[in-house]
Amino acid sequence: MEEVGHIIEVIQETKKSLAGYDSIKLRELSNQTIHNASAHQDVGCITLAVLIYTLSKLVERQDYKRIKNWDNFVKKFCSFLSLAVISLKEDNEKKYIDYLERARKTFNSFSVNLKPYIQEVLRKSSINKASKIYEHGISMGRTAKILGITQWELSEYTGQRAIDDNPYNETIDVVKRAQIALEFFS
Amino acid sequence: MKAIIFDSGVLINLSMNGLLYIIEELKEHFDCKFLITKEVKYETVDRPMGIERFELGALQIQNLIDSNVLEMPSSRGIDEEKIRKDTLLFLDKANHFMQVRGKWVNLVEEAEMSCFALSKELTERGIDNLIAIDERTARMICENPQNLERIMSEKLHQKVNIATEESDIFSKFRFIRSPELVYAAYKKNLIHLKGKKVLEAALYATKFKGASISFEEINKLKSM
Repeated sequence: MEEVGHIIEVIQETKKSLAGYDSIKLRELSNQTIHNASAHQDVGCITLAVLIYTLSKLVERQDYKRIKNWDNFVKKFCSFLSLAVISLKEDNEKKYIDYLERARKTFNSFSVNLKPYIQEVLRKSSINKASKIYEHGISMGRTAKILGITQWELSEYTGQRAIDDNPYNETIDVVKRAQIALEFFS
Repeated sequence: MKAIIFDSGVLINLSMNGLLYIIEELKEHFDCKFLITKEVKYETVDRPMGIERFELGALQIQNLIDSNVLEMPSSRGIDEEKIRKDTLLFLDKANHFMQVRGKWVNLVEEAEMSCFALSKELTERGIDNLIAIDERTARMICENPQNLERIMSEKLHQKVNIATEESDIFSKFRFIRSPELVYAAYKKNLIHLKGKKVLEAALYATKFKGASISFEEINKLKSM
C-alpha cells in the first residue's frame, strides 16, 4: 500500500471536513487520493476517492438537510474510517479495505426514498473519478475496469471535459492522419 | 484485402452519435473488412446489453455483427487462441512500460491490446490494416510514448520512467480515430446529411462522445 501516512492524513481531514460541512475541502481531499489511485490503482485509494467525492456532493447540494438520520450516518461512517486508520497503522491492508467497504455500505442506510438518489450520486462520483484517472494517462478500458463502470458511461463523460485539448495528446498531425484514412478508402 | 480493427471507443462513439451506418456505407463502397475482437464485443455488446441506458446502442452493434458488416477474426480464419496469446503478451509489455517510483503502472486493458494482437496477425498475413481507436493512451504508447510520459509526470507530480527497450514492439501499428473515419466518410459523400455544417457538426459530435481530439485539430480538419 502506498503512502500510508498521507492516506491517514486524508482520512482524518475527511472526518473533520465532514463535521464542518466543508464540501470544497472534501473535493480537494478526494482529488489528493487520485494520484495514488492512478499510479498504483489500489482498491483502497479508489474507494476512498469515490466515497469522499460522494460526500462532497451531498454536502455541497445540502442534501444532508433532507436526510433525517444524517448525524447517525456521519457517526457510523466516521467510526469505520477510524477503524480503517487503525488497520492502516497496524499494516493490515485486508482489514483496511474491509472497513472502507463497510463505510461504503453505510450509504445504504438511508431511507427507501433517498436510496436511489444516493446510489446515483455514488455512481456519478465513480464516473467523475474515472475521468480523472483517464486524465492521468491510464487507458479508457483500464480506467473503466478499475472503477467498475462501462466505457459507454466514461466516453460520454470524458467527452464533455477538456482532457483532449492537452497539446501532448497530438502524436501525429491530424492532417496526416486524415490522409491515411482517405488513402485507405481509395 | 484491407481491414479496419475497431476498438470499443469508436463503436460506442458512432453508436451514441447515430453514425454507425458509416461503417455499413464504407463496407458497401470499398473492399475493406471491419473486424472486432471478442474482448471488444464484450465491451460494446455483451456488457451494455444488460444496462437499460445503453441497450439500444449494444443492439445496433450486435446487428452489424449479425449482418456481417462487423466480423469476428474467426470468420476470416484467424485462430482466436493465437490472438489471445498475443493479447496477453502486449498486455504484459504495455503494463510494464511506465514506471512510477520503481513500480509499474497498469496502463491498458485486454480489449485495447486485443486490437494490437489482431493487427499484428493481419500484418503477418500481408493484410493492410488500421486500428480505429478513440482513447489516447494505447495510441500514445505506440506513436509517442514520450508525450504520455510528460502527461503522466505532470499529472502525478512525479517522475515517470519509460522502459524504452519495449518500444519497438509497439511502433508498427497505424491508427485512426472516429473523427478521421467520419472525415473520410464525409469526403466520400457517405454521410446522410448535406450542407456546409455537416462536417464540423459530425467532428464535434465525435469529440463530445469521447474521441481524443482537440478543438485545434478539428479546425485543421475543417479547413482541409
